[in-house]
Amino acid sequence: MKLKKVIALATVTALTAAMFTGCGGSGKSASTDGKANLSVFIFANDHESEIYNKMFEEYKNTHADTINKIDVQITTQDEYSTTLTGMMTAGDLPDIFYVGPESVKEFVDEGYIEDLQPILDKAGITTDGLSAQEALNSYRYDGTETGSGDLYALPKDASVFSYAYNKDLFDEAGLAYPDPENPYTYDEFVEVCKQLTKDTDGDGEIDQWGCGTADTFMMYQYIWSNGASFLSDDHKTVTIDTPEFIDAVQKYVDLTLVHQVTPTVEQDTSLGVYQRWLAGQEAFYACGTWDVAAFEDEETFPFNWDLCGYPTMSSGVSTTWLGTVGFCVSAKSENKDIAADLVSYVSTNEDGQKELSGITTGESIQLPNITSLAEGEFKESIASGDLAFPLNVDVFFNYLGGTDKYEGRFMESTYTPNAEWLDLFFEGFANVKNGSETVADYIAKVQPQMQDSLDTAWANASK
Amino acid sequence: MATAKRETKKRMSKAALREERWGRLFVASPFVGFLCFMAFPIVFAFIASMSTWNGINSITDNFVGLQNYIDLLTDAKFWKVIGNTLIYMIGIPIGMILALILAVGMNRKMKGVKILRTIYYIPVVSSLVAVAIVWMWVFNYDYGLLNTAIKAITGQHGPNWLGDEFWVKIAIIIFMVWKGLGTSIILYLSGLQSIPRDYYEAARIDGANGLSLFRHITIPLVSPVTFYLLIMGLIGGFQVFVEIMVMVPKGGTNYSAATIVFYLYDKAFSNRQMGYGSAMAFLLCILIFIVTLINFTMQDKWVKTID
Repeated sequence: MKLKKVIALATVTALTAAMFTGCGGSGKSASTDGKANLSVFIFANDHESEIYNKMFEEYKNTHADTINKIDVQITTQDEYSTTLTGMMTAGDLPDIFYVGPESVKEFVDEGYIEDLQPILDKAGITTDGLSAQEALNSYRYDGTETGSGDLYALPKDASVFSYAYNKDLFDEAGLAYPDPENPYTYDEFVEVCKQLTKDTDGDGEIDQWGCGTADTFMMYQYIWSNGASFLSDDHKTVTIDTPEFIDAVQKYVDLTLVHQVTPTVEQDTSLGVYQRWLAGQEAFYACGTWDVAAFEDEETFPFNWDLCGYPTMSSGVSTTWLGTVGFCVSAKSENKDIAADLVSYVSTNEDGQKELSGITTGESIQLPNITSLAEGEFKESIASGDLAFPLNVDVFFNYLGGTDKYEGRFMESTYTPNAEWLDLFFEGFANVKNGSETVADYIAKVQPQMQDSLDTAWANASK
Repeated sequence: MATAKRETKKRMSKAALREERWGRLFVASPFVGFLCFMAFPIVFAFIASMSTWNGINSITDNFVGLQNYIDLLTDAKFWKVIGNTLIYMIGIPIGMILALILAVGMNRKMKGVKILRTIYYIPVVSSLVAVAIVWMWVFNYDYGLLNTAIKAITGQHGPNWLGDEFWVKIAIIIFMVWKGLGTSIILYLSGLQSIPRDYYEAARIDGANGLSLFRHITIPLVSPVTFYLLIMGLIGGFQVFVEIMVMVPKGGTNYSAATIVFYLYDKAFSNRQMGYGSAMAFLLCILIFIVTLINFTMQDKWVKTID
């Protein structure tokens, strides 16, 4: 009888326990024997995961007197934001996690992330040697606006969405390679693209194009270089109805409809522009700093290639967007000082940066964060052939640092509470690109919708 | 009343009382589960629906009353996705008609009928995401099976199935009919097999032909199955999400493929407007409730049973 009772009680307990498995906090920050338990939540690809796990392990070993354990949770970029929101809702934030510049203001205002400035100052950690100061400044917040004030995160990296060309296709066409010092004007670019657009197998259909255009990533370059912008300087007004903006979008669409140097909208749905670039069907395509390793891989991209600038419009400056993500420390962390030190280690540690940038591994997934490393060993490794990297690496640094011919900037949605207003622009753009709607008509239709959406976003954010 | 209850308890034997306690303990487990994972989220979502909660700010500090519901009623995109969702429901009667015809065909003794039944049921047991990816290739503009066949037969290039605002709806309907056919066939088969043979024999003696038998005996007597399929089809139809997310991840040109749940997800998770998304979920719930209620009210008019 007693046994029966025990079994019954155990069954009920097991059922209830099974139901609540996974619920509740894990008490990750709790210290054991005076030593800290740290938790980290980031997104990374396999290669990055390996390097970061190694860096965290090394840090733990060299700080064995203060750290008991570093629990690293790594997810994919797609799932990161949703999971982080869930953690915030549940009040179960890790000590260290990623934050994008667009979220700094909100996370600080809602009390989720810690001001790193006093901790860094106290510990004598300086950020002067970091190469991407614009990326670094995007994590500053003065209580009203981002861009200045105290630092709330340290950049994991600063990425650039540059342009690239397939050298083999240029050789076949007998054309001179693009000059990285002087990006093409729009007209020059069109002419070159026309010579690279052809029917290679003689079946009457075009199967090689001058370039491929992915609207959501590759239209900014034309708009910004033409002196236009999606938003006003205060990021409150949608300014897509200016003549410069309309002209830039028209020229972008003309590449497909008039000059026919890109695949059509329908062809895009059959095989994406990225896949076509990998298949050697496009002479120009984008290359982010994170793409280099893949493009240098013979199996993925069996062509010779190099970097170049996007074509210039009326401003004469080749422009593209920059990206960054930063390491921040939870305001609820019980070990803020140690966490901040760890953040500074992964962001600025020379050995770690050598691995991530490929100096030691030969495979690059980001530019080095440290200026001296970027200018020194990194470029030397490329020149000597130890690091598989395009020779025109300065194109990346030109966009990152800015020159009289190059400029990099963050997308306007970085400064707005959400990107829904921007999504509206691209939602029906296929109809413009396939010629069923004019640029002017489309902009006249979509501008008020975008403004409404932006107004709502700002109104909700200010509550 | 309370005294009577106490009296009954007193009269219960010790063993019965013990059994009752154990019973309560066992029931408590799923009940607590229900409270935590169903009742609490529902109440929480209802409260959230009256705020501009974004998942990380405070619900109470961002309380807006019924504003989200009012905004939804004037949100053109919300009406658009309701329209899209209703259009997809054209697939429900198409699927039912096809399933009934196929079930009648398979409800006879012939060679290979079991293999046929299995083949039709494979899509039901297959992963929705996996088959949606396969169908993306079937619908591919240049290399798809469908357009290759169209070109071979007509000499013309087929439509841009997943990229065109009109054709994307047709493509999704075709996929949904294909995916649901197996379940409907199995249910219709069981319905057909429960119709007594005498009915058909008696009608034949009275001179009824095949079409009359089908019209006056088969259709009315499988109407309970039809009713069940209709209810489940409508409820499922209002909740279509995965196939859109896989086949048309951005919701299509001008949101032409997006459904209510897709929009809900987009708002709540992509744009972190959890309050607005919650309000949409409650409106969807009300919509499903009304449609189901109408169905149950109308069922007496057309659902016949053998009794």
